[in-house]
Amino acid sequence: MTKQSRIRRMGWIAVLAICTAFYVMLVFKVNAVHSDVVRAERKIVLLEQQKSMLETEFETRSNQLQLAAWNRVDFGYSAPTAEQFVENERQLASLGSPRAVGAPAPIRVAGETSDGDMPDFPKLVSPLTGKPVTQALLEPEVAEKGSARLVGGGSSASVRIPLGAVIRTDVP
Amino acid sequence: MTTLAAQCPIPAGRIRLVNIRRRTLLVAQLRVLLVGLAFVLLAGAALMRLTWLGVVQPAPTERSMAEALLPPRGEITDRNGVPLARAFPAYALSFNPNAMKDSGPPLVKSPEEVAAELKAIFPDLDVAETVQKLSGNKREYLRRRVLPEEANKVYAIGELALELPREPDRQYPQGRMAAHVLGYVDANEHGRVGMEAVLDKQLTDPALRGKPVALSIDARVQGALEDELRRGMLSVDAVGAAGLVLDVDTGEILALASLPEFDPNKIDAEGESNMFNRVTSEVYELGSTFKPLTVAAAIDDGVVTDLSKRYPSDEPLKVAGFLIRDSHSMGPTLNVPEALIHSSNIVTAQVVDDLGAQRLQRVMRDLGMEERPYIELPARGYPLYEKGEWGRLRAMTVGYGHGIAVTPLHLASAYAAMVNGGIWRPATLRKLGPGEAPRGRRVFKASTSARMNQLLRMIVTYGTGRSADAPGFRVGGKTGSAEKSSKGGYARTKLVSTFAAAFPMDKPRYVVIAMLDEPKGTVASSYQRTAAWNAAPIVGRLVPRIGPLLGVLPDETRDIDLTDLRPLVEGSAE
Repeated sequence: MTKQSRIRRMGWIAVLAICTAFYVMLVFKVNAVHSDVVRAERKIVLLEQQKSMLETEFETRSNQLQLAAWNRVDFGYSAPTAEQFVENERQLASLGSPRAVGAPAPIRVAGETSDGDMPDFPKLVSPLTGKPVTQALLEPEVAEKGSARLVGGGSSASVRIPLGAVIRTDVP
Repeated sequence: MTTLAAQCPIPAGRIRLVNIRRRTLLVAQLRVLLVGLAFVLLAGAALMRLTWLGVVQPAPTERSMAEALLPPRGEITDRNGVPLARAFPAYALSFNPNAMKDSGPPLVKSPEEVAAELKAIFPDLDVAETVQKLSGNKREYLRRRVLPEEANKVYAIGELALELPREPDRQYPQGRMAAHVLGYVDANEHGRVGMEAVLDKQLTDPALRGKPVALSIDARVQGALEDELRRGMLSVDAVGAAGLVLDVDTGEILALASLPEFDPNKIDAEGESNMFNRVTSEVYELGSTFKPLTVAAAIDDGVVTDLSKRYPSDEPLKVAGFLIRDSHSMGPTLNVPEALIHSSNIVTAQVVDDLGAQRLQRVMRDLGMEERPYIELPARGYPLYEKGEWGRLRAMTVGYGHGIAVTPLHLASAYAAMVNGGIWRPATLRKLGPGEAPRGRRVFKASTSARMNQLLRMIVTYGTGRSADAPGFRVGGKTGSAEKSSKGGYARTKLVSTFAAAFPMDKPRYVVIAMLDEPKGTVASSYQRTAAWNAAPIVGRLVPRIGPLLGVLPDETRDIDLTDLRPLVEGSAE
């Protein structure tokens, strides 16, 4: 047997040993996962049985006979009568009555539409300066670049202040 | 000498040595062989054992999750999925004298001490009997059912001979409710009496039992029906009561109650005596509740075309030596609506006379009155009626519900056919999906049915059924109080009071039957025994409870149109 072939044989044996070791590890791993699954299944079965037991207990304690006894004796409930049901809008409207003569004026709720001579939506006021917060205040760089366009046109109602924004008061 | 000896080529001592060596070697080899053989035998034995374990002996059974979760017996639910009967793992307590597996005494402590400790856990335990059982050497049950908490306490006693085997049990969470519908499971694990018996195969089949079986029953409606029936029964001291709620368009039974009932969780002698079902297996002469069916047959046949036609009603009718009379005088003449409102036997008999016995018999046959009722339950009573062609008198008495004994279920199915547009359908306890309702057979014309709905509503509005008139629910129906037949005639003091109703009459959806067996005159019924005073109020209280649950909302602005019939009864209606 030459030295080379001996080395080759040793190599093969080493490869085989490594493969066997990996195989054994894999088998262990598979078995471990399998037993985990079995344990989980057992737990599921146990929980399902517990759930069914609790459900049965709940159903038994709240059986119709018991509920009827509570409703009648403890709470004095009775079946709702026809007056307690409203079937449609017409029936609902029929419950109202026309305003009598000399009755106080009904309370009216204010409502506004966006067109016409409506004042601007109230602007967000800076708690530091007491001045309205404008877009220019929040983003001075952008405001400086196109000042003609942005500054003064601050009618945007929904102004959001980004986190960590530096509020400059020198910009009008 | 010594030289001579030295000259000897192989001295004798050397030869002896060689022999000894050879022998020793042989012995050693033999010993090695023996040891080797022993090892081979051992290895062979081990191999044999391995083969035995691997091939012959069955592998340890491993149950899958699906198997473990499969109930030993399938679940029964109501139409909305509320469990009515389910498998339930329970513990039993038994005494096993051989648990210690030695010849010594089975118990560590004395039987008296153990019995006293058991008494502390189960207060209702019979100590003397238990001591006797514990002293014997027979394996015996001490208790059939033990709660898990109690089982833990029994374990804490520390006696190995007290065993707690786990046994499959059947639990009915609703207790006594719907007992006659469900039945129970006997000691051999087979269903008895109700749907447990009918569905036994399906409930025990491993392929099917995982899926709950839905019945047509609605637990809430069933609870309300039993509650009101029980209240009515107790208030008039009746010996029994029966009732059902039937869907007129599908034949599904939403509630079916027979009182007194039994407890399927605990079967005893008293329970067994209450197992007969008054709704499906007992037959009764149901009296005047048959009158609307007779009138419907007459209208359908074109015999009664004019409802304003008046019939004489002051004289008892003498037919074949038999007197047909009314409970009280109702005036010289009555028309058909008035006859129904006041429940006149005399006028109904005359209507039957016009109709003819054969035609009435045909209608009764079409309504299923000559066969067992259609329902899944095993206990179905065969109606009592005259076989063959009916004579004139027989037809007249059948016309007002005498001389024919049927179950309340027969009556419910017939009423359903009368109010739903004229289609008779078999009743069922299985939940039917959309479109699964049987086609049924036509018994009455739709126009007859519409007219009967008006007449039934009139009986409740103006007549004997007024105490059933739940406001807004448009109830229609007919009372019936028949004397119970006994040996050689009728028992004057024993009545069967029935109220057969349907609601809402403008579009009938449900038939309700309430029947009381032998009611007595009490304060609650103003000392009256007839259905107007005891059975009708039950329906009057029941309908408001179940109507909204079944999708019928009360509405006092709606009702069936009675304008064409009202003038016929005004003045005569009290």
